[in-house]
Amino acid sequence: MKRRTILAGIAGAAATAALPARAQQDAFGSKELIAAAEKEGGLTLYTADFAETQQEVIREFNKRFPKIKVAMVRAPGGQLITRIKTEAAADKLGADVVNHSDRGLMLEIADLFQDYAPPNAADYRKDALVSPKLWPGVTLGWAIAYNTQLVKNAPKTWMDLTKPEYKDKQIGQVIGPSGGTTWTRIMFERQVLGEDYWKKQAALNIALYPSGAPLSDALVRGEVSIAPLLYNIIFTKIVEGAPAEAIFAPEGVPIVPYADGITKSSKNPNAARLFMNWRLSKEGQTFMINKLGNITSLSEPPAYPKGWDPKVIKVWVPKFEEFDKLRASWMEEWNKTYGYRQ
Amino acid sequence: MTATSAAALPASTEAAPAARRWAAPLWVGALLIILTFLVIYPLLMLFFGAISDSNPVIDGFGKFNPSLTHFIAVLGNENVRLAFFNALVACGGGTILAVVIGLAFSWIVVRTNTPFKGFIAGASMIPLFVPPLVAGVAWSILGSPKTGLLNTALKWSGIDFRFDFYSMSGLILVFGFYYAPYVYMFTASALRNMDPSLEEASEVAGASAFTTLFTVTFPLIAPAILAGSLLSFVVMLGIYGVPAALGAPANISVLTTYIFKLTAWAPPLYNTAAAVAILLMMVTAILVWAQQRVLSGRSFATVAGKAFRPRSLNLGPWRWLTFSLALVYLFVVVVLPTIALVIAAFRRFLFFKDFDAVFDMKAYSWVHFNSIFDNPLTMISIWNTMKVGVITAVVGGVLAFAIGYTINRTQVAGRKSIDLLSTIPVAIPGLVVGVAYLWAWIGLPGGLYGTIWILALAFVARFIPDTVKSLSTSFMQIHKELEEAAWICGRGLLSTIATIMVPLARPGIIASMTLLFVLAVRELGSSLFLYTSDTTVMAVLLLDYYEGGNIGKTAAFSLVQTVILGVLLGITTWLSRGSAESTARAG
Repeated sequence: MKRRTILAGIAGAAATAALPARAQQDAFGSKELIAAAEKEGGLTLYTADFAETQQEVIREFNKRFPKIKVAMVRAPGGQLITRIKTEAAADKLGADVVNHSDRGLMLEIADLFQDYAPPNAADYRKDALVSPKLWPGVTLGWAIAYNTQLVKNAPKTWMDLTKPEYKDKQIGQVIGPSGGTTWTRIMFERQVLGEDYWKKQAALNIALYPSGAPLSDALVRGEVSIAPLLYNIIFTKIVEGAPAEAIFAPEGVPIVPYADGITKSSKNPNAARLFMNWRLSKEGQTFMINKLGNITSLSEPPAYPKGWDPKVIKVWVPKFEEFDKLRASWMEEWNKTYGYRQ
Repeated sequence: MTATSAAALPASTEAAPAARRWAAPLWVGALLIILTFLVIYPLLMLFFGAISDSNPVIDGFGKFNPSLTHFIAVLGNENVRLAFFNALVACGGGTILAVVIGLAFSWIVVRTNTPFKGFIAGASMIPLFVPPLVAGVAWSILGSPKTGLLNTALKWSGIDFRFDFYSMSGLILVFGFYYAPYVYMFTASALRNMDPSLEEASEVAGASAFTTLFTVTFPLIAPAILAGSLLSFVVMLGIYGVPAALGAPANISVLTTYIFKLTAWAPPLYNTAAAVAILLMMVTAILVWAQQRVLSGRSFATVAGKAFRPRSLNLGPWRWLTFSLALVYLFVVVVLPTIALVIAAFRRFLFFKDFDAVFDMKAYSWVHFNSIFDNPLTMISIWNTMKVGVITAVVGGVLAFAIGYTINRTQVAGRKSIDLLSTIPVAIPGLVVGVAYLWAWIGLPGGLYGTIWILALAFVARFIPDTVKSLSTSFMQIHKELEEAAWICGRGLLSTIATIMVPLARPGIIASMTLLFVLAVRELGSSLFLYTSDTTVMAVLLLDYYEGGNIGKTAAFSLVQTVILGVLLGITTWLSRGSAESTARAG
C-alpha cells in the first residue's frame, strides 16, 4: 500500500516535470495571461484556511511564478465573510481571490465573484461544485487520529469509535456547530454510520473541543488519546515526528471541498486567474496532497495521502441540498445528544 | 488645539476678552465631537445591529427594521443566563483575589523597606504583558488534570494531590493572578503620591502600624482601589483567552466565549452577539454608576503643597517575610508560567510520558523560533505593532490628559457628559466592537481604511476609559492649592498645566501611556476586522499560530512579544523613576 502511494506521488511529480515548457505554461494559462499577470505583479488573497498552510501554497506558486507577489489576509470563517460583505458594500473589497471552507456562505455572496473556470475544469467532480464561479482549490478530508504512546489497540474504523474500551474522555471531538467542515462529518456519521451512531458515541463520555486545531494539539499532548480530525491538521505534526498517527476509515472519508473565486472588483484579474489556475492544476493539487495533507476534488487524484488505498477507501461528499436543509434541525439534535450547550 | 483652548479655561477670567469666554464651550464641544466620533457613532452601529437583522453598511439605514427579537432570544436562553452567572462568579472571585494581591504588593513595594523592591516592582508587572490566550495556554500546560506539568511532578514525587485548573476555581485563580497588576498600578501610584504626614499623625495618636494601614492608608487610597478593582473586573469580563483555554475543557461557558461562538459560527450571528454585548454593557454601566456614588462628595487630595518623600516603613527582620511573600507570588505568576512557555517554545512536542521526559534535552530545539522568523509576516507584524502602539500611546495619552483634566480640574458645563462618554467603551467586548468599528468607519472619505491609523484610532477609542481612569487617579490627588498658587503668581492655565500638573502627574502619565501601549499591543478583537495584509499586527499573527493548533510556535511568538514588551517596560520604568526623583528634588 505504501509503495503504491509513493509510486503514485513520484509518477505525478515526474509527469509534471517531464512536460515540455510550453505544455506546462498551457496547464496554467496562455502566454498572454502569464505576461499580463506578471505585469500586474501581485494579488491579495483572503483566506479562512490556516495562514501557515496558505503560505506554503504561495511559496510553491512563487517557485513557478516568482514575479507575482501574493499578499494574504486571514481570518476565521464567519468573521471573514462579515468582513468581505462589509468591504464589498463600501466598495472597498481588497481581495482578488477568496478561499473559504463554507460553500453555503460563499454561495450567498456568489454575486461578488466573476465568471471563471480553470483550464482543467472538466477534470473536477461535479458534486464538489456549487456554482460555476466557485472552485475547490482546497479539499480536506476527515481521518481518525490517535496518540501512539497512549493507544495500545488503535481504532481502525469509524464504528470503533463507539466501543466501550475507548470510554471516559479518551476520545475528543470537535463540536457540531463549529462550522461547515464539522457539519460535513456529523452528517456523514448519521447518514452512513447509522441513526444511533451519535447516541452510542456520546454514551462513552467524550471530550468536546471548539475547533480542530486545539483538539489536534490536545491529542499530541495526551489530553485525549483518539480524535476524528481533518487529515491536514494532524499531517504536518506527524511529519515533524509527533507521537501521533492517522488512518482513513473504510466506511468512507467525508471530504470538504472549499469554494474559491476571483472577485468582480479584482484589481489584478490576470494574476488572480493565474494563481487560481495553478492552485487547481494537477501540479498545485499534487503539492497540496503530498506536502500539506490535503485531499483533492479532481475525479482522478494525481496522488494519495499516506495509507490511502483507493481500492478500499471511498470519499463521501454531502449532497449540497441536504447540507443546507438538514443543518439547523440535525445540529440541534447533535447538541442535545452530546450535551453541548449552545 | 489642546494648549490654546485649555488656556482659556479658568473660571476666574472675568476680565478676559469675549473670545476667551467662548473658548470653554468650544473646548468642551470639540471634546464631545471627538468622543462622539470615537464612541457614540460605533456604539450606534452596535445598537443598530442588536435590534435589527441587518448590517448597516450592506443594507443601509433604509432597511432598518427594529425588533426586540435578539434581546428576547438572548434573555430567554438559559445558556446565556448560565454563562452570565459563570462570568460574574469568575470575575468577582478573580477581582477579590486581584485586590488582595495588588494591594499587598503595592504596599510592599512602595511603603516598606523590603529588599530588592525595584526588581520586585518590575517583575510583578510581567503578567500584564502576557496575552490572555497565552496565559490560558500556559496554565493549561501547568494545571491540566490529565497532562499538567505540576501534576506530572506531583506524581513523580509520590504525592497524591492533583491540581485541576480546568475548573471555576482555576479560572478565578488565573484571573486573580493576571489582573492583580491593574490594581497594583493604581494603588502603587496613589501610595507613592500620598502625604505620609497623615500616617504619622495616626501613629503619633497611638495607632499601630497595622491599624494605620487599615484606618488611614487604605481608606485614603480608596478611589485608586475602587478604580483598579472596577477596571480589573470589567477587563476580566471581556477576556476570551483564559476561559477559552481553561473553561472550555470543563464545559464552563462565560459571556465572552458565548459571544465568540456567535461570531464564529457559520453563518455568524453578529446581531445576536451585539445583543449579548449590550447586556454586558449594562452590567458595567451599573458598576460605574455605583463607583461614582461611592466616591461622590469625598475629597481624596493627598498631594499638597508640601515637600515629602513616600514614607518607608522599617519592617525589621519581618522584611524578609514580605520579601518571601513577594517571591512566592512572582514564582507562581511569573516563573512557573514562563517555564511552561519556555518548555513549550523549545520542545518539539509537548508530550511527557513521565516527569523524567521533561529533562530529555534531545526533545528541545530552536525549531519553532526558526520557523516563526522564517515567516516574513513576523517582522512586518512586529514593526506594525510598535508603530500602532506608539501612535496609540501618544494620541490616546494626549486625549486622555485633555479629558481627564477637563473632568477632574475644571467646572465647565458638559464635563459630566464627557466623563460618561469616555467611560462607555470599557463595557464593550472587543470581539463585538471590532465589527462596530468596521461598520462605522469603512465608509469614511479618504484613505483611512487599510492603514495603520485606523487600527490606532480603534485602540484609542477602545482604551480611553482605562487611560482616563488611570490618569484621573493622579489628578484627584493633586491638591487644587498648587494650581491656585500658580495662578496667584500670574501664570496662565497653559503654563500652570505645563509647570505644575504635568510634572506632578508625570508618573501617572507615563504609567497610563505604558498601559495604553501594552493594551494596544495585545488587542486582538478590533484588529481582526481592521488589519490588512500590509498592516498585520502581532496579536493577529499569534491567533493564526494558535488557531493553527501549533502550541510551540504560539509559545515561541509570545515569548518574543513578552521580551519586546519587557524591554520597553524597563525603559519606561527608568524614565518614570527619573522623573519621580526630579519631582521629589524640585519639591
